[in-house]
Amino acid sequence: MKKTTNHKLHFDYGRVFQNTKSFIDLHNSRQTKLTQKLNANHRATAELIVRLYLKQLNKAAQLDQLDTKSLPGFNTYNESLAKCKGCTKRTIINHRERLVNARFIIKENHCGQGGVEIWLNPEVLGMAKLSTSCGDNVMKIGEVASLFYEKAKNFHPLVHEQQEQENNNSNVGKSVTTEKDHDQEYGVLPHRRDHKSGKATGTGHEQDKNTEENANPASNRQEKAPEKPCKAEKQEQKLGAGRIFLLTLIRQFWAYARKVLYPDLVLSDPEEKEILNLIWESVYGKLQWQATEKECLNYQETAYSRINMVARWLARSPGHWIPKPHIYFHPNNERNGFKKTWLWYVKQETLKLEIRNQLLLQQVKTEWQQHEQDKGRFREKTRLQLFRIQQKRLAKYRDESLNQAYQQCLHRCLHLQDLKRKHHA
Amino acid sequence: MLSERLQREALSKCIVWFYDGNVRTFYSLDKTHQRAKANKSLGMRRLEKMLMETFKGQWETAIIYENKVNGNELARFKRGARV
Repeated sequence: MKKTTNHKLHFDYGRVFQNTKSFIDLHNSRQTKLTQKLNANHRATAELIVRLYLKQLNKAAQLDQLDTKSLPGFNTYNESLAKCKGCTKRTIINHRERLVNARFIIKENHCGQGGVEIWLNPEVLGMAKLSTSCGDNVMKIGEVASLFYEKAKNFHPLVHEQQEQENNNSNVGKSVTTEKDHDQEYGVLPHRRDHKSGKATGTGHEQDKNTEENANPASNRQEKAPEKPCKAEKQEQKLGAGRIFLLTLIRQFWAYARKVLYPDLVLSDPEEKEILNLIWESVYGKLQWQATEKECLNYQETAYSRINMVARWLARSPGHWIPKPHIYFHPNNERNGFKKTWLWYVKQETLKLEIRNQLLLQQVKTEWQQHEQDKGRFREKTRLQLFRIQQKRLAKYRDESLNQAYQQCLHRCLHLQDLKRKHHA
Repeated sequence: MLSERLQREALSKCIVWFYDGNVRTFYSLDKTHQRAKANKSLGMRRLEKMLMETFKGQWETAIIYENKVNGNELARFKRGARV
């Protein structure tokens, strides 16, 4: 953070390092791919750059008046950085590339023999416009959704868990071909079906073959049968009676999506069941979250608004199109699937929050300015009273980042007032 | 022409009335690979693709039924469009 002591710019290492850390942490939390994240090594390079840059800046500030709006870049050489860090030149180049992608470095200027000039993100230096975007917006927006929109790679557990591999293709433990039609009729209810029809849990081998399994079929079944119902029971208990409610949510979602996005589509039963299954998996994350009814309804609202977003996007241009529902709602469709609209939604909501916060801060700022000039609603209040009123108002939003931004804003307002007073004196 | 076993195992079939007077029955292929689990809607989509692309403009009516005795009608096509 900059501090003006004797009208000279000074950067506090601790604050800037903290900013660096939070910037990188935030960036990492937003990335899903490991190749886009910044690991400890990148972090070290970033910190090295920051350290050397601050040294350069502080020195320059002592010699000359620096303009906070257009700070000079960091002049360096790949080789010297590599030497400092004890790695090769190529590593530094790669790290810089990653930092540019992360918007940690906002601009680079290659001067050939003169090395490189790097400009860091003003957010890191604590110079940026008060931003309220820190914190995980995804968590703020949809708590339920953030549970299954995985934010990081799914690592293997450290301890290997012994579990039976489920083989989709084998007949063992599943209903045989003659029951397939029956299977599909239940659509979205895979474990329910297993639970109800005991047949599905039995082994599907032929009785006439004198295999080892057939030698003592009764005992075998007794051993094998309880496995699946147990699983089903657990699921059932976990979700309880709410399961039916959740399934109706899926049906409502599909009905709405169909009405809005595919008004002319004619579908038969099996096709519709398949689509419902796909939605169950891709949009509702197989209903594996334990959420209250209210949270579920909130999530449903977000899902509806995502559909509306798609509809608006389609209407905007004749060149926009979406694939057929069985492709659109497919969980593995990364290219043009419905999954992507989650990012749209997060972006939209983040923007909304940001604008709201900016407006609030603006209001706070004008109030302070008016208060200083003995105008406005709060002219009769003391500074402390005004602070309390504002704090109370902003606390209603329960937004940590807004609070932080408010503190910074307050700091600036009061600091400006002090400066003005000094100037007058 | 599918083998008899595949015809028997197919989950749906499509009867097509061509403009030239021919009537043919096609059976669905419901698996993505030999040992896969059969997917009824995949078979139906494949039959639809056959009607719309392979035999485009050659048939007047086509109906997809479940492949069993007294099977239900699943989809009906008239002159190139699903009704």
